[in-house]
Amino acid sequence: MTAPNVASGGLLGAIGGVPRPETDVVVDARDVNKWFGRLHVLRDVTIQVKRQEVVVIIGPSGSGKTTFIRCINHLEKIQSGRIFVNGHLIGYRESGSGKLIEDKEKNIARQRQEIGMVFQRFNLFPHMTALENIIEAPIQVRGTPREEAVVIGRALLERVGLAAKENVYPNQLSGGQQQRIAIARALAMKPALMLFDEPTSALDPEMIGEVLEVMKELAREGMTMVVVSHEMGFAREVANRVVMMDDGVVVEEGTPDQVFSAPTHNRTKVFLSKIL
Amino acid sequence: MTASPFTRLGTRRALLAGCLVILAVTVTGCSGNYTLRPQFFWDSLFRPSPAIVNGLGLTLGISVVAQFLGVILGVFAAMGKMARFRPFRWVANIYIWIFRGTPLLVQLSFFYYGMAAAGLFKWPAIVIGPIDILPEIFAGIVILGVNEGAYMAEIVRAGILSVDPGQTEASKSLGMTYGQTMRRIVLPQAARVIVPPLGNEFNNMLKTTSLLTVISVFELYNTFSVAAGHSYATFELMAAAAVWYLLLTTIWGFVQSGIERRLARGTATSSSGPSGPQGPGWRTRFFGRSNVDAGVGGLGGH
Repeated sequence: MTAPNVASGGLLGAIGGVPRPETDVVVDARDVNKWFGRLHVLRDVTIQVKRQEVVVIIGPSGSGKTTFIRCINHLEKIQSGRIFVNGHLIGYRESGSGKLIEDKEKNIARQRQEIGMVFQRFNLFPHMTALENIIEAPIQVRGTPREEAVVIGRALLERVGLAAKENVYPNQLSGGQQQRIAIARALAMKPALMLFDEPTSALDPEMIGEVLEVMKELAREGMTMVVVSHEMGFAREVANRVVMMDDGVVVEEGTPDQVFSAPTHNRTKVFLSKIL
Repeated sequence: MTASPFTRLGTRRALLAGCLVILAVTVTGCSGNYTLRPQFFWDSLFRPSPAIVNGLGLTLGISVVAQFLGVILGVFAAMGKMARFRPFRWVANIYIWIFRGTPLLVQLSFFYYGMAAAGLFKWPAIVIGPIDILPEIFAGIVILGVNEGAYMAEIVRAGILSVDPGQTEASKSLGMTYGQTMRRIVLPQAARVIVPPLGNEFNNMLKTTSLLTVISVFELYNTFSVAAGHSYATFELMAAAAVWYLLLTTIWGFVQSGIERRLARGTATSSSGPSGPQGPGWRTRFFGRSNVDAGVGGLGGH
């Protein structure tokens, strides 16, 4: 086998460069509606994310931002609307009459390979070491030879600053370290898009910085990212666009400057006054 | 901490005393017309006949294979019970309902004698390489395994439910299929919850094989039973049979605590002391917890 090229710098260097999304618009969500029972949690949500763009979704709890990001890789079902990633309809196929029919489990799994996700509570596999966590999916799902997966996995561990923790189980790591490994685990699949669901909300304050550093690095290198977060500093620094959601509706969106400095909508003003 | 006479050493002494009493009865004989012939007891322990060795092998072999079958069926039945597709749930529920709701003895007679009597099914002999498996042994393994699967189903289901749903989500988000998620992520973590009750199930299985006597499998109990019928040394031989079973279950107890310790890796406190999540070690298991750390006496406490 040929050794994978992991020599070039940066996080994405470890996985052989910036994964190329197939289309200019990576995420194209149109009029998405979702109900939990009678509760209408997403109301005609329309959001587009372009290639290499970083979009940060903010909003009070219960606004539907986490639910929305989970719909993008079909961890949640939607009742109407369409979500396309890389031009492919996610989770469903359309019947002749335009109704949504849930896709086969195998097809959904294949679509998810292109979408990395980082969770609030890390969700590392506790029975596997740091390195095993990272190489599991490439080997099982992509069929990457083990040696190659290990080379890439070690490179990723090094780039997130945890080369020394390769054989350590998650329970022996701090929250910040676990989250950095979770990011490396998602990157190992060479996704075209990364989703972050409140990645720093479960962390002690002193560990938030190290995780945000990795995310900033990733953004600088050109990864397409959708981030649900309350980290306004992060949003100001790296977001191309901030989306404000409230009560299942996209209230307003714009550059960080527009949204933070001159919010047009009253609900945004109220929310920002509480959080800043 | 109040002082108590039942230290660990005391417990061990009590155990020794118990053994001596049994020995005394065996050696000196007891009242009545029954003449004790201790050599039947000692010989079947220390100079076991080929029939006993064979019976021992059968008991162990049948238990292992039937338990293995039971675990496999249990995993499928558990997944069936949790399936979104309704017919899967029906099949799993009916299977569990029937095999947990009827006596094993009836199941054995029905599927071995009953089916043959009605001309519906006759169990074949099986040849696997150099091993010939008699029809009654084959039937015994399958029926024990299928019966066990119905009990394992609930144990496996509880194990699967004990795994954080976030694990499944993380696995799915990496593109793993349901099968990969189960096999690589959920079941290995469920194993930690499944193994302790599984150990009890296997302990039970070792003893339950004695029911195969009813379909004339010459496992350990049947061998001793026949020998007792010939010699009338029922007391000595059944005592010896009990010792053999006790030996099997005791060895299994040690093996089990070893397995549990191995599975504890990656848990929150796996580096803690002997009463950590890996469960009590074999000393604690065998002699009871010493009153120093548990506050009450173990074996022989009163």
